[in-house]
Amino acid sequence: MDQIIGQRVPKLDASAKATGKATYGHDIRLPGMLHGRILYSRYAHAKILNIDTSRAKNLRGVKCVLTSADNPSHLFGYGKDNKPFKDIARSLRDEIAGVVAIDPDIAEEALELITVEYEPLPAIFSPKEALAEGAPLIHPERKSQSNMFHSYRYTHGDLGQGERESDVVVEASYTVPYVTHACMETSVVVAQFDLRDHLTLWSTTQIPFLLQRDLSEALGISGSQIRIIQTAVGGAFGRGLDIYPYEPIAALMARKAGQPVRLAFSRHEEFTAGPARQPVEVTIRAGAKSDGTLTFRDVSSVLDVGAYISWGSVTPLVMMETTASLYQVPHVRFQADCVYTNNLITGAMRGYGNPQSTFFVETIMDRLAEALKMDPVEFRVRNANVPNSETPQGLIITSCGMKECLETVAANADQGAKHTSSAPVSDPTRNMANSRPLIEEDPPHLKRGIGFAATLNVGGGARIYRSDGCGATVKVDDFGHVTLITGSTEIGQGSETVLAQIVAQTLGVKMEDITVLNSDTDIKPWDVGVHASRTTFIAGNAAQLAALDARNQIFETAAELLKAKPEELQSYDGSVTVKNDPARSLTIAQAARSRHFKEGGKVILGEGWYDPPTKLVDKDTYKGNISAAYGFGAQMAEVEVDTETGKVRVLRLVCANDVGFAINPMAVEGQIEGGAQMGLGYALTEELIVKDGKILNPDLLDYRLFTSADMPEIKSIIVETDDPTGPFGAKGVGEMGGTPTAAAIANAIYDAIGIRMTQLPMTPERVLAAIMQKETTE
Amino acid sequence: MRPFNHFTPTTLSEALSLLAEHNGKTSVIAGGTDLLLKMKAGLRKSNVVVNIKRLPNLNCLTFNAIDGLKLGALTTLRELTRSPIIFEHYPVLAQTAHIMASEQIRSLATVGGNLCNAAPSADLAPPLIALGASVNLISSAGERRIPLENFFVGPGKSALQPGELLKEITLPPPVGKTAYLKHSPRVYMDIAIVGVAVRIQFEGDRFACREARVVLGAVAPVPLRAHQSEDVLAGQNLTEERILQAAKAAGQECSPIDDVRGAAWYRRRMVEVLLKRGIKSIQ
Ligand SMILES: Cc1cc2nc3c(=O)[nH]c(=O)nc-3n(C[C@H](O)[C@H](O)[C@H](O)COP(=O)(O)OP(=O)(O)OC[C@H]3O[C@@H](n4cnc5c(N)ncnc54)[C@H](O)[C@@H]3O)c2cc1C
Repeated sequence: MDQIIGQRVPKLDASAKATGKATYGHDIRLPGMLHGRILYSRYAHAKILNIDTSRAKNLRGVKCVLTSADNPSHLFGYGKDNKPFKDIARSLRDEIAGVVAIDPDIAEEALELITVEYEPLPAIFSPKEALAEGAPLIHPERKSQSNMFHSYRYTHGDLGQGERESDVVVEASYTVPYVTHACMETSVVVAQFDLRDHLTLWSTTQIPFLLQRDLSEALGISGSQIRIIQTAVGGAFGRGLDIYPYEPIAALMARKAGQPVRLAFSRHEEFTAGPARQPVEVTIRAGAKSDGTLTFRDVSSVLDVGAYISWGSVTPLVMMETTASLYQVPHVRFQADCVYTNNLITGAMRGYGNPQSTFFVETIMDRLAEALKMDPVEFRVRNANVPNSETPQGLIITSCGMKECLETVAANADQGAKHTSSAPVSDPTRNMANSRPLIEEDPPHLKRGIGFAATLNVGGGARIYRSDGCGATVKVDDFGHVTLITGSTEIGQGSETVLAQIVAQTLGVKMEDITVLNSDTDIKPWDVGVHASRTTFIAGNAAQLAALDARNQIFETAAELLKAKPEELQSYDGSVTVKNDPARSLTIAQAARSRHFKEGGKVILGEGWYDPPTKLVDKDTYKGNISAAYGFGAQMAEVEVDTETGKVRVLRLVCANDVGFAINPMAVEGQIEGGAQMGLGYALTEELIVKDGKILNPDLLDYRLFTSADMPEIKSIIVETDDPTGPFGAKGVGEMGGTPTAAAIANAIYDAIGIRMTQLPMTPERVLAAIMQKETTE
Repeated sequence: MRPFNHFTPTTLSEALSLLAEHNGKTSVIAGGTDLLLKMKAGLRKSNVVVNIKRLPNLNCLTFNAIDGLKLGALTTLRELTRSPIIFEHYPVLAQTAHIMASEQIRSLATVGGNLCNAAPSADLAPPLIALGASVNLISSAGERRIPLENFFVGPGKSALQPGELLKEITLPPPVGKTAYLKHSPRVYMDIAIVGVAVRIQFEGDRFACREARVVLGAVAPVPLRAHQSEDVLAGQNLTEERILQAAKAAGQECSPIDDVRGAAWYRRRMVEVLLKRGIKSIQ
């Protein structure tokens, strides 16, 4: 019997995407479809006194123009603070008006014909100003009468005791920047109303069912009037985890125009009107005993969430998790203030707080190791999370390969590396992997170093809504063809393929016998959405349950036909056989037909619903087991720093990840490498440079992603721990790939040149400035 | 993008009369890798676009030991990276083109477009100026020839008059050795934060310099000849100290600005580092 799980099965949609045959949102053309464009605010904070749309309306080819007069009366969004069109602009990306025209260029031209009279208001561009006494209120309508949206405060243990027990204490402040998803496909939505006033929305969302609800709120219609159809998605990375104003705007446009409307962002708009990852300013103190045991961690941070609240403002929950539960720390305090400003809108992005917090936690770990004169890997292993334990935060860790991940990357650190260092090589307590000879012919301005970092990530869903569930059905037709209808969403991560593998393996059919349907809320069963690395685990368990249910139905019929008991049967390659008597066999198609065509027959339709055994965290203490499993990973980065230019080249990245079981090792590697690409950019090149609420580099030239030519050699090693709850032992892996990268690189830079970088990205200019500063103070 | 009229002339005279006729609102398009971006962003509003890709004789690439090189304006960056003539006589041009943009862009982008776009960061400008290039400009009024170093007037501004085309670039036979070093965060698909070209005519061994040319990119409104730095090197032994002195001089005489790509102090510093490395690389 051929195993299907554990195989390097190519993604089901790979050839369609590689050959340009996949249908993305930008490819959708409906009869009579019009095009919408949005006019954004000229000021970061201003009252709209008057809008004159008459000239725009009169432009040939313009169908209609919309303004806040067209808004339904409802506020929407996570913070219930947003509207489609604004009468007060709170950021430069605020939607002031919209044009619908027969083509996008005419719509664009019409935007220029709209005159808006603004009354500029004082604007706030940093959390510090926003929290200052007497600061103007960004949302004066809010009860709290403060620009503080929410302050998260968490503790476990007794910080004072932790301090007293410490032999070494280190402290540092860090800054991480705005970055953005930079999806290959810009945001796009197509909206169409039918004669019953039912809306169909073609969308790249990651949360079709929640979007139904969010849109119903925003538009003031029932969720049952809304159908979401997901197109092929050209990258999401968290961008699609929220409702954004352009979505209800497209619906309002379609309704007003009486024709379908497509709203597609330009690349510039994708940068300026799309969400960004929150910048964070953080101070962290941490201590350890001289034997290397961690004593405490104390984090205080401020997040600039922008002018409207999205789900992205919940990222402190994940920053908190890293702070409280990455490694065993007895005493922890964590604080995060989420503050409104007139800056960019922020949102959810892959890792959801974890890349930020892992950067400061894992660089502090390195400082502690140094203060203790311990090997950084040995120090980490000593404090690593262990299997079958509960963290003080209440995370119940079952399978856990953290130690193995750390040891694996350390064991791979040495290969082919050469090390020259101005850092104290004479110090025998430096990295154990560092005992390499100094190679003489190396140019003296190039210094090499290695660094390590680990990561903890939810790997069994994350209960941030009351349900963390997913539904699935499995249908078998007369020809033995199997259709998996899953609530989950394919966003390029390969869930379709992995779920098909799970069903194929469970039912005993071949991969080519399976079709996956996952893109239509009118068809698929409910699901929370694709986030928190949850799909393989949650949707995988649901798919497996549905497949088992279908298999039972097949076996029930097959048992009658084969004159055996259902428990004596097995299935593979599309056939059912009696275990001890393989000659007695029939095909699944035969079983299905016999079931369909007999009197009083039945259909083969398996169903599965999986909601993991987890809890919402306590709303005051934030404690509780949020996930049914936890994934772990570690990375080793080897860098070469050019001390004259400050340029950091990553020579090698070794990644080890505990994924429980790799249902598709190739897909796991894809997630790790893709994650690393984002982690490398976060570490070294990516930053939205923002001044007075305006992005100064809203293009792919000056917002520098790592291209294929910039990528270092990546070695991705899969560590398997066979999770007790995951489908076939699998855990989630979607976010881990890029989380520890920035810390590993920062630690490697320290190893190379003895400088602790505290601001991301670590650009050549920042690194050189730090080198020059060190030279002048020495 | 707004609608525009697109002409594809097949003779030079047809092209020149089109340009003369639609004076002012016309854009010449070669590879389009600079122009189309500007038009899409609304930074360049043209009613008429004249495509010069079909013009004959604008993509010549010929060399002889007496006259040197003749390079048609339509020569693509890709051709620079693959031409045996360039490899043999002006390898620095192949090296420069190789680190520009990407394979796809290089197949479209032209030498003429790179120069006429007149970006202070245009990568081909410093090495071409260092090699002593001149440009031939042609219009319905006639043809003229000016040294490339006088061609650049300001960011996005060149000596091209309305109705004038860049026809070809000419280089004298190669003298000495030339290097171009570019600093950008990414190796490919990136614009120079600083570019430094240096050509040295050696005296006897590689340690003495008879004459030097130093040209800096992205650190002034136009690609800049660093005359003071050149004077430091001319007629001198290329000691470590002398090289550093020349590097310092170049860092002083440029006038970089602070922008999203880099701070002025950093750019000056990179001028120094790259010039030092450039000289050492050809020694
Ligand atoms: C992704 C990307 C990466 C890039 N990387 C680099 C890089 O690394 N280094 C670099 O220097 N540049 C780079 N560029 C810029 C651009 O590709 C080059 O400047 C290229 O050489 C322009 O040539 P073109 O033929 O495409 O010019 P076009 O866009 O066709 O023209 C540019 C300008 O010159 C004018 N023009 C063109 N030819 C003539 C002529 N013969 N006579 C008169 N006027 C003319 C046009 O009217 C226009 O104003 C990059 C561009 C992109 C999109």
